[in-house]
Amino acid sequence: MKNAVKNQIVVPHRSARRFYGHGIPGVDLEQLAGKLIVVEGADGSGRSTQIKLLVEWMEGTGHATVQVGLKRSTLVSEELVQAQQGNILSRTTLSLFYATDFADQLENIILPALKAGFVVLADRYIYTLMARDMVRGMDEAWLKNLYGVALEPDVVFYLNVLPEELVQRSFAKNASLDYWESGMDLGLSRDMFDSFMKYQTAMQATFRRLQASYGFTIVDGMRPGDVVNTELRKKISAVMAGK
Amino acid sequence: MKTFAELNFPGRLIAVEGLDGSGKSTQIYLLKRWLELQDLKVYFSEWNSSELVKAATSKGKKRELLTPTTFSLIHATDFADRYERHLVPLLRAGYLVLCDRYIFTAFGRDVTRGCPPEWVRGIYSFAALPDLTFFFKSDLEVSLKRILEGRPQLKYFEAGMDLRLSTDPYESFRIFQGRILEQYLAMSTEFNFLVLDANQLVEKQQALVRELVAQRLDLARFRRAERPRTPASAAPRKKTKVEEPVP
Repeated sequence: MKNAVKNQIVVPHRSARRFYGHGIPGVDLEQLAGKLIVVEGADGSGRSTQIKLLVEWMEGTGHATVQVGLKRSTLVSEELVQAQQGNILSRTTLSLFYATDFADQLENIILPALKAGFVVLADRYIYTLMARDMVRGMDEAWLKNLYGVALEPDVVFYLNVLPEELVQRSFAKNASLDYWESGMDLGLSRDMFDSFMKYQTAMQATFRRLQASYGFTIVDGMRPGDVVNTELRKKISAVMAGK
Repeated sequence: MKTFAELNFPGRLIAVEGLDGSGKSTQIYLLKRWLELQDLKVYFSEWNSSELVKAATSKGKKRELLTPTTFSLIHATDFADRYERHLVPLLRAGYLVLCDRYIFTAFGRDVTRGCPPEWVRGIYSFAALPDLTFFFKSDLEVSLKRILEGRPQLKYFEAGMDLRLSTDPYESFRIFQGRILEQYLAMSTEFNFLVLDANQLVEKQQALVRELVAQRLDLARFRRAERPRTPASAAPRKKTKVEEPVP
């Protein structure tokens, strides 16, 4: 019997929960026993790789997990993809469409999973949505009210990677730059490379601004994946233990 | 919040609000015909009609996927699409824009569904206020009768079934509409509704609507400009023949 607890499973510490604003009507925050962990960062910052590694680690240590991400709702994801391809929606409309997608996942996946005691890993959350809109000149107070429906996560990691490196990673992977990730709709430059650099620099500045109100943990994403993952695990372990 | 006139738009927006069955759609249709027959620049827009968002909304309704929050957001998306792509550009171009339901419909319904009023109002804060808002005030029983007379198949969200007010769709609809009416009445003064008695005859109401519109808007300003004449376009095209100007 002496080896019985060698592979010890940590029972997560209960966290104090709150919505950022008005929240979702009728939700009892006391019942949300699980943990919400968010990984933010630009495309190519290593988000999905990190999440994959975290899921493996979590499951290995006895935690049930659920993953969510942008544009994955049953309600509007198809229409959202369609709208984006045509680039026919105006700013406020696109913003509200994304908010609908987010709220649908929040109510139908995130909250039920947390209630059931799962660890929810979110591949981006409201911050990317807010930053994109802020870079496009939308009112910050309006966005804060809109995303007041969101639940405050237990921890938010922002994988910080310099635009110069993001460009290299994007070329290594796809040999091209993404239209939206280059902010081409903004008309910053006709040169896509130029536009990408300007847009990503503006996004980083906006994230730093958001960090002041939302308190992300900024993680240096320029380092090798396993080094980054070790840091994330360490920080998540502390969160699980309620430290 | 300001009206389009206060924001110096050349166009003007007229909205109608009221319960289902209050006859508001009939009234705005007749108003539209009257304005069109005077050769004025008129555009009509209906609640929940943006092509792009419609697919998602009807899926959400059919499969009963919507919660009060997503119900509110998806309708706001629909409104924003129409607002940014049609209403604002047309109002910039000096049109009379007629809206069958405007933001007050969202305020009334979403709040009845339990969304915080400040949140809903904040979301719609990008929209300017109508220059004229007609509220067709009907007795709850009269509206209900009009809708329920044919014992129609009431849709899930239309009847407010998502609120679990009653397991009977008709009873649920009654309670739901009653609560929306309360919301409308509470907004009436704040948003300067022009309240019309919707229990009167169609013609009586329409006469009043037209009178109020003529009184408050300088309709002559919205007349279509005379189009420059293009005599050549009327004649059939022939390759070889050069058109002689008509003497």
